[in-house]
Amino acid sequence: MTQATVRPVLLRPPRGRWLGGVAVAVAAHLGWPVGWVRVGFVVLTLFGGTGAFVYLFWWVTVPTGDPHDPAHTQPAAATRLVRRQPLLVPGRRLPVTDIGVGVILVVGAGLAVAYRAGARVQVGWLLAALLVVGGLALAWSQLDAGQRRRMSQVAGGRTPVPVLAVAGGVLLAGAGGLLFVGQVTGRELAPAVVVQSVVVALAILAGVGLALAPWWLRLVRELGDERVAREREAQRADIAAHLHDSVLQTLALIRTRSGDPVEVARMARAQERELREWLYADRPAPGESLAAAVRAVVAEVEDCRVGPDGQPVAVDVVVVGDAVPDGAADALLAATREALVNAVTHGRAPVSLYLEVRAEALEVFVRDRGDGFDLDQVAPDRFGVRESILGRVRRRGGTASVTSSSRRGTEVHVVMPTTRERTGDSSA
Amino acid sequence: MTAVPETVSDKMPDPVGPDDAACDEAVSVVLVDDHALVRAGVRTSLGAAVRVVGEAADVEQAVAVVHEQRPAVVLLDVHLPGGAGGGGAEVITRCADRRDVTRFLALSVSDAAEDVVAVIRAGARGYVTKAIDGAALTAAVVRVAGGDAVFSPRLAGFVLDAFGTAGADVATTDDELDRLTAREREVMRLIARGYTYREAASELFISVKTVETHVSAVLRKLQLSNRNELTRWAADRRLL
Repeated sequence: MTQATVRPVLLRPPRGRWLGGVAVAVAAHLGWPVGWVRVGFVVLTLFGGTGAFVYLFWWVTVPTGDPHDPAHTQPAAATRLVRRQPLLVPGRRLPVTDIGVGVILVVGAGLAVAYRAGARVQVGWLLAALLVVGGLALAWSQLDAGQRRRMSQVAGGRTPVPVLAVAGGVLLAGAGGLLFVGQVTGRELAPAVVVQSVVVALAILAGVGLALAPWWLRLVRELGDERVAREREAQRADIAAHLHDSVLQTLALIRTRSGDPVEVARMARAQERELREWLYADRPAPGESLAAAVRAVVAEVEDCRVGPDGQPVAVDVVVVGDAVPDGAADALLAATREALVNAVTHGRAPVSLYLEVRAEALEVFVRDRGDGFDLDQVAPDRFGVRESILGRVRRRGGTASVTSSSRRGTEVHVVMPTTRERTGDSSA
Repeated sequence: MTAVPETVSDKMPDPVGPDDAACDEAVSVVLVDDHALVRAGVRTSLGAAVRVVGEAADVEQAVAVVHEQRPAVVLLDVHLPGGAGGGGAEVITRCADRRDVTRFLALSVSDAAEDVVAVIRAGARGYVTKAIDGAALTAAVVRVAGGDAVFSPRLAGFVLDAFGTAGADVATTDDELDRLTAREREVMRLIARGYTYREAASELFISVKTVETHVSAVLRKLQLSNRNELTRWAADRRLL
């Protein structure tokens, strides 16, 4: 595996650019110093404008992007295909160069009009050509979707910047065209002629546009279809990658340990839980969902504790409603965990957990089908139920009760008022 | 149609009962699942009170087998290939002409609320997950064959979530479709806590039959309620 000569892709980075980022891109791609590349472009421009031409060509054709992004250099199979969008693209806050170019063009246009009106200078041809090229470049730069996104992000969403740029480009190119015509015919342009020619030009453009519209529409539609297909493919690949990462590995582990039923059951249960979470849950951020926190507690108890017969015990979880956990919820979770551990280690399967989140209170039931026990018979030095569950909940202003019978098993019931309800509560 | 012995209707039927006598009265069942492995597993786990008369792997097969065999109960996976892509709900809709003979019990691994709501609203009499053990599944099949509804703790949780748990939002009359009565909510909460119908009955000092009536009423509300939040709720709530 020789991968010493992996070059960064030719992409115009969003930062470090002076004009269009072409020099930076070329320097990154070839591994040369940026300064040398810039000097090279300037020197080449002296020879018949070659440097400028090449620069413009690359500006139009090379897309923006970070050439050092590992996603471009790693093999496709090793990367996550659904890449997460960066929250904020690092780079300049304002499209300074774009504005600069626009200002130069506007000034150029003004000069050209001034020349036309007053002193006649031979550079008129050159200015007209520059105007047309500059205007077109400005309009064409909008083809670059990445750049457009960057612009709209800079200004916070929908901005008139791309529209302005296109409109300005069209205007400049039109003015340049008119100047050209005036130069060729060698006559002053009467206002009537200008209006007439503009109308004719617009009519021709409209005709051509109408003729090309179906083709263009089809192109747009095909592009949309292709994008949808690509997204679906990326999603599928993401699922495949996940299946490979976790499910296949668990299956391989299960095969190697097929002689140990306890371990196999535990692994299967853990894998099922993980897959369910991945497929059905909203994947809330940590600390934002009480339901997710309860599930995490259940997962921990299921993984680490076994029943009285040494078998892992599955816990049936039903959650109604959800809330952002607060201090009261933490106490509730700790008590729930203790109740679950008791149910799993001393009770009998199935163990059920029911959490109901209401506006005024959180309510938890933990139930097992064991033989039950008498709370009064438990020695006072045994800390479990009395302190970890009942005491902890009461200190936070909640109520807890344990009902136990030999026929019906044991049920721990915890009610914890939410913080809003306890604002007037002074007892701790 | 099938006479259900009272003992079987209770929580724990004997899965290895004397099947020579029960053979005529055994509930006929069609298994519909696209995984042959799952069908085989369900078939072996079912007790003697249930007789498997057919299997199907996709929507077309399922519709054909149900019309041919006229089973009392169809154990139906929610996600099925074939047909118009509607899965289990589509099978129920296309077998609507057999509704007076055949009842449907959804059996799925899916936790997604939209799956549950879709198949229940199409007409299934209950929803159980594939983690259910053989005895409980047999009992559920018999219960559905007897015309009752089968609510797993999870489905009860869905109902409470969809109809709301706030104390003030209580139906005052039985024919109100958009809200649960206080009693129905109590029953749902007990089922969500893992109580069997019989345990719920003794907890509330009512008969098992009354619990079944309440559960069937909730199922009817789930199927007929115009509460348009229900479908939206299910679509929004990918989380169990």
